[in-house]
Amino acid sequence: MPDLRLLLQDKPGKQVLLLGNEAIARGILEAGIGVVTTYPGTPASEIGDSISAIGAEAGLYMEYSTNEIVAAEVAAGAANSGVRALTAMKHVGLNVASDLLMTLAYAGVRSGYVLVTADDPECYSSQNEQDNRFYALLSGLPCLEPSNPQEAKDMTVSAIEISEKLELPVLLRTTTRVSHTRGPVSYNRLTKPNLKGEFIRDVRRLVMVPANSRPKHGVLLKSIERAKEISEKSPYNKVAYEGKSKFGIISSSSAYNYAVEAADLLGLGASILKLGMTNPLPEKLIGEFLRKHEKIVIVEELEPYLEMQIKAIAKDHAPNVEVYGKTSKAYFPKEGELSTRKVATALARIANKELPIDFAKIDEKYLEVAKNLPPRPPMLCAGCPHRASFYVIRKVAGEKAIYATDIGCYALGIAPPLNVGDIMICMGASVGIGQGISKATDADTLAIIGDSTFLHAGIPGLINAVYNNHKITVAILDNLTTAMTGHQPHPGTGVTGMGNPSEKVDIVKVAEGCGVKYVRVADPFKIKEAIMILKEALAHSGPSVVVFRAPCTLTDTREKRRRGIKTVPSQISEKCTNCMACVRLLGCPALILENGKVCIDEALCTACGLCASVCPYGAMERGSSA
Amino acid sequence: MMKEFNIVLAGVGGQGTILAAEILGVAAVKDGLNVRVSEIHGMAQRGGAVTSNVRIGERVLSSTVLEGQADVLLGFEPLETLRNLRFASEKTLVIMSDEQIPPTELAAKNIDYPSVEKILEKIHRFTNRVIVVQTKKLAKEAGSILTRNVILIGALAAVGKLPTKNESLVEALRDLVPSKHLEMNFKAFKLGFECAKQKASQS
Repeated sequence: MPDLRLLLQDKPGKQVLLLGNEAIARGILEAGIGVVTTYPGTPASEIGDSISAIGAEAGLYMEYSTNEIVAAEVAAGAANSGVRALTAMKHVGLNVASDLLMTLAYAGVRSGYVLVTADDPECYSSQNEQDNRFYALLSGLPCLEPSNPQEAKDMTVSAIEISEKLELPVLLRTTTRVSHTRGPVSYNRLTKPNLKGEFIRDVRRLVMVPANSRPKHGVLLKSIERAKEISEKSPYNKVAYEGKSKFGIISSSSAYNYAVEAADLLGLGASILKLGMTNPLPEKLIGEFLRKHEKIVIVEELEPYLEMQIKAIAKDHAPNVEVYGKTSKAYFPKEGELSTRKVATALARIANKELPIDFAKIDEKYLEVAKNLPPRPPMLCAGCPHRASFYVIRKVAGEKAIYATDIGCYALGIAPPLNVGDIMICMGASVGIGQGISKATDADTLAIIGDSTFLHAGIPGLINAVYNNHKITVAILDNLTTAMTGHQPHPGTGVTGMGNPSEKVDIVKVAEGCGVKYVRVADPFKIKEAIMILKEALAHSGPSVVVFRAPCTLTDTREKRRRGIKTVPSQISEKCTNCMACVRLLGCPALILENGKVCIDEALCTACGLCASVCPYGAMERGSSA
Repeated sequence: MMKEFNIVLAGVGGQGTILAAEILGVAAVKDGLNVRVSEIHGMAQRGGAVTSNVRIGERVLSSTVLEGQADVLLGFEPLETLRNLRFASEKTLVIMSDEQIPPTELAAKNIDYPSVEKILEKIHRFTNRVIVVQTKKLAKEAGSILTRNVILIGALAAVGKLPTKNESLVEALRDLVPSKHLEMNFKAFKLGFECAKQKASQS
């Protein structure tokens, strides 16, 4: 792993290779931001993780907050007390934080506040691919969109400046391809963060009762007008390439990279207007660009956010220009991420040119070699305690029970042979949705939720189950970390983002405090006991909670390696009849076939012993790792 | 003047493809070259198919390689090498590890892992330039299976005609690998380098 202290070097002009998210972390240090808050979520996680690694040394404060709205609240409090702040989250996190954001736009901030939203076109690791630029329009807040790591860093600093000029939060919107691309980044000077400021009482400004909100809406609208002037003059909005043809391309974010490469591939000679500040749009600059061209192609990922507004601008500034994008002259998809190939294919159709690469031929040849290739979907690791929990859950609740599942590694339980997970929508939803299903059917209903997700958004649902007496069993799969996003600590772990010890929020006590009468902890690897506990929970008349607790196998293995503990993999004895029960029941990646015979992949096996527990012939000898 | 140099790294989550791609990217920056490295941090921490791209060149903007445009396909696992053949053409050099990681579907459906001959036959439909590296054996020799990625980087340095200097790759290793594992990784780099060089001279 890279040494993140690289980010701390005060060497202006130094060029280093940084991930887009690490570049934002560097921007945080260059902007003198004093408070950084986050809830982890791909593709945003490395912003907070980088700051967590170096925050103490950099002299700033960071925290992993309980969820995104709490993260934004903490930062908004700091930014209204004279300390620069930033909150990072994945796109759907902004849905959680939006209640705050919409009205914080009225109240504003005194020191710079940047909210980073990392969008995920193509749903690489998300439940949807919503386009968060619309939050900028909805809230009226300025929005910057970097296209590479260098811009990601620079725009973090610019966003703070704009925020302080307008006294408004500013959105910094990345995509997976910006956040998770490494590229060269040139450093500027570091700014020492200010950690203490002053809270200036101003009830009319900050207390959003109706009498104050009404005038503040007007203030916001005036600020948006001032933001337009900033956008017109912004160095991030500029004609990046001057061409001689009748084509003009307008693009932003990662789509800009594809647009330039695709135009180059086709030798299109198009002018390209690059937009880096995309709310509010620079109307005059765009109007001028439209007037200079006959045909305008808008290259953007997901929704026709630019297109809708540019068409409105065209009506006033260049009514005869032809606009090609995703709506009336539809050449680009609204779903999925773009690529140089997709953009080049669309540009070739628009310009009536031939592509220099025969993609169809490559596809045909590829399909022939790939057609029988076994898929390799993401799956639960060998030794994952969730596999044991799912085995127990399936064994007790069976096929007729309905399983509402949630966001986390355990969503992978939907894969055969475990097959646990019938509905999953968003963070914490399993608990509430399960109650509705339980009310509307007579089936046993279980909510499956992880420790971090339960603390993030599961608690109000659990209170509802108690209050309205819903018959539901909530299985909290507690692996003592936020595993899927990279093992960040959470309120139950007893460690903070700054690496300091803290009070462990006890999930059992939380559930009991909510009023749940049946709350038990089960070790998922102690199969018999866990089965007994879950049976009792299902038989309980009201809501019940079972905490399946065992550490994530990745952190556990890492810890054992650190302490010099050797793992002796499990073994298969001659009692094995090759009945395949282990493979059929567990789907563990360490159970492999060699010449038709079940074997244990010694490099993967963690000696968790689950296969030994389920083998009907007692042919598995559990290894050891203690 | 080189226009661009594209490397596709394909493997299974946990094999160290991301670090390998980063080593190549850091080396490029050390040589003053423009570079983009793409990573997809998958749904799961381990076990899924993963692909990283490294693109080096003055005009490179996007981090993803176009179909048929890879100069090198660095396969950490045979089936994953096949899965990424759409990036290959007759110009592509395929450097493939012999480390097989059977997808669980094979066990569930009671199918054996395909033979090396079958895999090579499919690669040959795209390119005849293939080097198979005995990563498992060499990694054992180096001291840990976890050095597999550096063995492949060594092989790539030997025969990949990279635009980066080999010294820069070694410097990048020094930057990115924890100091207590450095000797082991230098050894892995050398073993991979020599293995590929020898194989290239035989073919």
